[in-house]
Amino acid sequence: MVNWDLLSNALVSGVLLGGFYCAVAVGITIAFGMLDIVNIAHPAFIMMGAFIAYFFNTSYGVDPLLACIVAAPFAYFGGRLMYRLYYLAFERHGEESLQGLAFFFGLLFIIEVGLLLIFGVDYRFVEARYIGPSIQLGFVSIPWRLLLPTIVGLAMVGAVALFNAKTFTGRAILAVSQDPGALRLVGGNPVHIKEVAFGISIATAIVAGALLIIIQPVEPSIGRDFIGRVFAICVLGGMTSLPGTVIAAMLLGIAETLTTTYLGPSWSPAISFGILLLTLGVRPAGILGR
Amino acid sequence: MGSSLRIENIDAGYGAVTVLSNVAVDVRDGETVVMLGTNGNGKSTLMRCITGEVVPTKGRIIAEIDGVTHDLAGRPTEAIVDLGICLVPEGRRLFPKLTVEENLLLGAFRKAARPKISDNLAFCFDAFPRLAERKNQLAGSMSGGEQQMLALARALMASPRILLVDEPSVGLAPILVARMIDKIAELKAALGLTVLMAEQNFEQATRIADRGYVLVHGQVALAANNIADLRESDVVRKLYLGLD
Repeated sequence: MVNWDLLSNALVSGVLLGGFYCAVAVGITIAFGMLDIVNIAHPAFIMMGAFIAYFFNTSYGVDPLLACIVAAPFAYFGGRLMYRLYYLAFERHGEESLQGLAFFFGLLFIIEVGLLLIFGVDYRFVEARYIGPSIQLGFVSIPWRLLLPTIVGLAMVGAVALFNAKTFTGRAILAVSQDPGALRLVGGNPVHIKEVAFGISIATAIVAGALLIIIQPVEPSIGRDFIGRVFAICVLGGMTSLPGTVIAAMLLGIAETLTTTYLGPSWSPAISFGILLLTLGVRPAGILGR
Repeated sequence: MGSSLRIENIDAGYGAVTVLSNVAVDVRDGETVVMLGTNGNGKSTLMRCITGEVVPTKGRIIAEIDGVTHDLAGRPTEAIVDLGICLVPEGRRLFPKLTVEENLLLGAFRKAARPKISDNLAFCFDAFPRLAERKNQLAGSMSGGEQQMLALARALMASPRILLVDEPSVGLAPILVARMIDKIAELKAALGLTVLMAEQNFEQATRIADRGYVLVHGQVALAANNIADLRESDVVRKLYLGLD
């Protein structure tokens, strides 16, 4: 006997969770998919965004999303600076594959420990008008604290897709890792292009952090739960494809909520790695891989 | 206003290996100059020196565009492309996982070409109807001939003043080589380009060239002022016709 009430609520929550995962994964689709930069510290930047939202919300009563949207341009320039450093230290010498990975791994722990020292190990949350109320559609209830992140997540992917399709810099971002030398031959500077793209990637992480703390209380180490998720979404979506990222994020969101609903929450972290392994085994190019 | 290129006695190579020694080449405004020579004699290295991918250890490379003189030595590739000096590279160097149209649009990355992007795109689709048919196909999935067309069209998207073409015949069937060479001549006339082309195929290249050089072991073995001189020369007879 199927409980339609339970199933439809689980599916709707899955889609909403998927929309939030879009925001979390879009930066990895840029950094890992398009630029070949294995930024394993991406979830740490999401946590940083969550605590920026927390700090400005509790100290000054600023809306958490607004705080991170204002912080995003600073994150963009911080990201550019970070890529510059990564390029000078590793990529320029062709040593990015292992040493670059170690660099981001180190960065992940430095940020995590930094947040722990400042904010402690307790779960922190934010307050905003949209946290609490829900929209009731028949027997399906849609909480605003899930709907808002979905809308923002999809809007972020849409904005990046539009930027990549319509601007010269955006098109160069799609080309740069395929042949940096050929990009120079059409007049683009690959280092500059990657720097801009990495800046955008970090800016999306900060905004995703606000969305995370709107959805649930956070403490610094939960960022690690997202490492598997972001890479699974990127690979399943087809590495460079933004529509693929949306589809993969939705699939993961639905798979996780169905698992939580029917098998219990302890299984849900296994889903992303399961999807990652399945994709690599069955269709390594991903859903919309070129 | 004209555009010309003067390579003044350059030496160049990779690390300890010297490939070019004392190479001097002149390309005057509106000319098509062919650089002949078999594999491994330095034609591509010469092209890479002009585009800044290889930095000469000696000598100068001077471009004159619209009355302004530019010394190219030491400039990064993208700055040289920005002047309007564009290379159709050997092996095409397309972005294989982007569509034909995306490759073409990237060709217009050069600042001076951006305002002309839609005109240039229409021109390229007109010149190569095949590319218009396949504009949504991935560049890497096309045939060699189509890829060579795309490489040429992508360079034209930059509104070049000086067009460098490195071995357009590589990997193409003989009938396609002839068509490609004709196309270069046609586009050069239509756009008023100055062309330097490196090519092994003597018969095909000399059909459209005004003058030519022969590169042997990294040195200019012959600089001919017309095609007849080139054809009669001992160097060419030895290299291409196997006559001693």
